[in-house]
Amino acid sequence: MVEGIGRGAGILAAATVCGVASGMFGIGGGVLLVPLLGLLFAFSQHRAQGTSLIALIPPTGILALVAYAREGFVSWKTGLLLIPGVFLGGILGGMLAERIKPRAMREVFAGILFALGAWQAFSAWWH
Amino acid sequence: MILIILLLGLGVGVLVGLLGIGGGVALVPAMVYLLHMDQHMAQGTSLFILLPPIGFGALREYWKQGQVDWHAGILCAIGMLVGAYGGSLVALPMNSQNLKGLFGSFLMVAALLLWRKSRRESNAAAKEQETARG
Repeated sequence: MVEGIGRGAGILAAATVCGVASGMFGIGGGVLLVPLLGLLFAFSQHRAQGTSLIALIPPTGILALVAYAREGFVSWKTGLLLIPGVFLGGILGGMLAERIKPRAMREVFAGILFALGAWQAFSAWWH
Repeated sequence: MILIILLLGLGVGVLVGLLGIGGGVALVPAMVYLLHMDQHMAQGTSLFILLPPIGFGALREYWKQGQVDWHAGILCAIGMLVGAYGGSLVALPMNSQNLKGLFGSFLMVAALLLWRKSRRESNAAAKEQETARG
């Protein structure tokens, strides 16, 4: 692995790619950032997850949100109702992650994600 | 309906803490299918939910364990701020159907990466055990 500035530049570039996905698909980008930090920069799983969470603390999606809001593509009410649950659930999940070995969990999640993606792509493009 | 939304938030939150992700990847399809939102609307709303530091509670738990690289995290935040704006400029003019299909394809790629990372780690762990034994 490259050290110092090279590593920093690599991380910045990887994160920019994650950001593009974030703006295009309205997601946090962590789902891409976590495996990339691990695969490209040899982060341990827990460290990759913790570091991904920092990147989500500042409102990294704010510029994208403004762009969506300008086109009227934001349901503010639903968003407000979802926020408290996501916050509380996040604490719960963080505590759980220390206790269990999340490897199996992650594989199950990857499986569900794949099925969900296949279903979405299928329902959008074939009917 | 409100109860469903609140419970949905809680479920997604557990994933946020458990996997260190923003949760949008689960929120967007959930809003499209359970709340019958349009793809663009679901993505815009998801970005809104990610605006406050919802992962802060989870981050604190990781920080206590020393599992946080601040330097890399800040670099990631900067990259994502800029990248996200660029991504939204690409997505907004697309039609909802194509965006939905593309979102699905993205989920499949993300799933493969996640799975590959997971595999590699279990291989490394198995090798370590072998060396310890031998």
